[in-house]
Amino acid sequence: MSLDISFIGILIGSIMASSVPLILAASGELITERSGVLNLGVEGMMIIGAISGFALMVITDNLFIAIVGSMLSGVIISLIFGFLTQSLLTNHVATGLALTIFGIGLSAMLGKNFVGIPGKEFPILFSSLRESIPFFGPILFGHSIVLYFAFALPFLTNYFLKKTKLGLVVRAVGDSPVSASNQGINVILVRYCCILYGGAMCGLAGAYLSLIYTPQWIENMTAGRGWIALALVVFATWSPIKVLIGALIFGGITILQLHMQAIGFRIPVQFLSALPYLMTIIVLVVISRDSRKIKLNTPTSLGRIFYKEK
Amino acid sequence: MATDLRISNISKIYPGCVANDNVSLQFKSGKIYALLGENGAGKSTLVKILSGVISPDNGEVFLNEKNLKLSSPLDAKKNKIGMVFQHFNLFETLSVFENLSIDATEDNKSLRVRINEILKKYNFNIELDVPVLNLSAGQKQKVEIIRCLLRSPKVLIMDEPTSVLTEQETEELFISLKKFCDEGILIIYITHKLKEVLSLCDEVAVMRKGKVVSVSQTQNERVETLANKMVGQKLAKIKKKINISKNKDEIFKVKHLNFYSDDPFETNLVNLNFSVKKGECLGIAGISGNGQNELFQILSGEIITPDTSIIFRNKEIAKLNPKQRREYLMAFSPEDRISQAAVPELKIYENVALNNFKSSNFFEKGLVNERKIKEHSKKILSDFSVNTDNVELKSQFLSGGNLQKLILGRELITAPELLICYNPTWGLDVGAINYIHETLIKINGQEKSTILISTDTEELLKLSDRIAVIYKGKLSKIMPSEEVTPEKLGVLMGGGSID
Repeated sequence: MSLDISFIGILIGSIMASSVPLILAASGELITERSGVLNLGVEGMMIIGAISGFALMVITDNLFIAIVGSMLSGVIISLIFGFLTQSLLTNHVATGLALTIFGIGLSAMLGKNFVGIPGKEFPILFSSLRESIPFFGPILFGHSIVLYFAFALPFLTNYFLKKTKLGLVVRAVGDSPVSASNQGINVILVRYCCILYGGAMCGLAGAYLSLIYTPQWIENMTAGRGWIALALVVFATWSPIKVLIGALIFGGITILQLHMQAIGFRIPVQFLSALPYLMTIIVLVVISRDSRKIKLNTPTSLGRIFYKEK
Repeated sequence: MATDLRISNISKIYPGCVANDNVSLQFKSGKIYALLGENGAGKSTLVKILSGVISPDNGEVFLNEKNLKLSSPLDAKKNKIGMVFQHFNLFETLSVFENLSIDATEDNKSLRVRINEILKKYNFNIELDVPVLNLSAGQKQKVEIIRCLLRSPKVLIMDEPTSVLTEQETEELFISLKKFCDEGILIIYITHKLKEVLSLCDEVAVMRKGKVVSVSQTQNERVETLANKMVGQKLAKIKKKINISKNKDEIFKVKHLNFYSDDPFETNLVNLNFSVKKGECLGIAGISGNGQNELFQILSGEIITPDTSIIFRNKEIAKLNPKQRREYLMAFSPEDRISQAAVPELKIYENVALNNFKSSNFFEKGLVNERKIKEHSKKILSDFSVNTDNVELKSQFLSGGNLQKLILGRELITAPELLICYNPTWGLDVGAINYIHETLIKINGQEKSTILISTDTEELLKLSDRIAVIYKGKLSKIMPSEEVTPEKLGVLMGGGSID
């Protein structure tokens, strides 16, 4: 039986690893949306983060530069979105969609010369503890620093939104930009910051994929994770902790159904592949039923263009 | 220290409209000043300039002879100019305390102490840790006032503060304002309600079409003199003759109207029963947010509630949708003219066609007969004295008053037996209000009935034959309007009981 227990430990560890990009991207997007901005460019920003992280790693041979660079590239590409929607007042939805299409195209072009290059091993922490403790070892230890950061992020985000002054300002801007502006809050600046932060987290999520999770560059390697992250934010009703739960369920069922397919369960493969999407939505809808809480958490001005009276 | 606020030659021009034309005014602390004018007279533009929300094209503002540069709301705050807007600047989903702490410079603990001091000093009864969306309009206004007081303002500007308050709340507000005034805060009170000017303010400046047309001591003014200055023409007084309709048939009868909603923004309705006679106007009073929205939607068929019985002209119509109800000769004028009653982006004649899908020959074989709709629209424009004859104009370019006339015209031209209107004169100027009141009285005279849901007690007393008050989704007993006084209505609207 000890074999089974340690296998389950490893399984949980791999589920955690697979949900990291979702947690990162969704936590970033959550802040953006809480400020009233709907950025559908998550997928595009992630894939740009993935290619720039990988390319920088190959060029500089320095993982730190690669990670920071991927976040910066996420910031830069989200700056385009910010400039268009906040300064030129374009429609959030259309601009976000364009950003995703742009990101996928640009990454494919930039990545042409990086296909097939092997990645570098990313350092993992506490690798000795991972081996020595059964069950808990593979769950708690032997992960990259990015994973620990990702799992702390929803709690930090929750604290930021609920307890800090800045978080209050972000929520206020998302609730009513006109009132916020009349209170002397620089709505455009706050929204720019939230957009850029979202970009940085999406960039990091992409880099996690190309540097740590599957260390190589494959065209279109985010494979729709950006869209899942977006859906998580909405179904988790803008609550960071529920985003974490949703991401774990999605990652968990994705891994489990792969094992089920491998074992040869007599369930159609298509149904198994659809299972993660289905279960995540069902669980999040069930845990977010309280319509009162939804009202209080939903950024009222989400996706609406704000301009200052002159 | 005495405060002296001087506005000098302020001008603000919008495309096609001079909002402020060389406005100069002077205010001194220790007095309450009224800024009186119809909608569109330029009051709001002026106070937005004073609070730094917009900047003027020309002119200067001096506070104690210091020239103020008000290029953002922050500048106004720094210079201790506080502002309570007509449309509250609160964050509905945040708690009262969060709303107040957002621009505070001190830590939460001492802020809470200071807020509690203010609550105690002025007898405000507000819980600090509930979301603002749970508060009544009067409480929200108090939160706004507290927000200003926290910054110990020199100037406090109130923009149409009583439009959402009950009589009692208005009295409380006036007491507070007088207290602030005694404490040396300069108060500028913006309104179009003449009686408030006379009962509260010391000096009054009247604005018309962007200009200041008169500045005077209120003790030298009467309602009529102020009204004439404001409108610029003599106004006829209207008063309805109460219908003696005891023996008339009941044309509309509602039984067991219940409505339950999970939505914290909605109000539940509890067992409403009432009826309307032929040629009668039933007034439903109440502060907004006590279930009027839901009631209107149920009466118009936008919401269908189970177990409710609505008898109209001897037919059960409770399960019919708005279109079917219109076919039975009901007509509706919702509160929100621009988004519920009309589509702002559509032209006037297109909006006219919207509610007449069947009863007229506007459509032939699925095609629009533009010529007929336009003719029909022209008739509405002239019959209801809308200030344009261009049916191609987009509805969003009509002023509130003209749009309301168009909507009433559209509804009434089908000769409905019952018109249900919700705040028909909300935000309109005296001229338009008079016209709409005359129209509503006229249709009662033609033996057509009306249900008037309104937050304006004066309007209700003027137009209704019988009045009931809705409070937290419950309806008071229905009273003949000659027995009703504004004070009685105020008590009921605030949740109290009479006799």
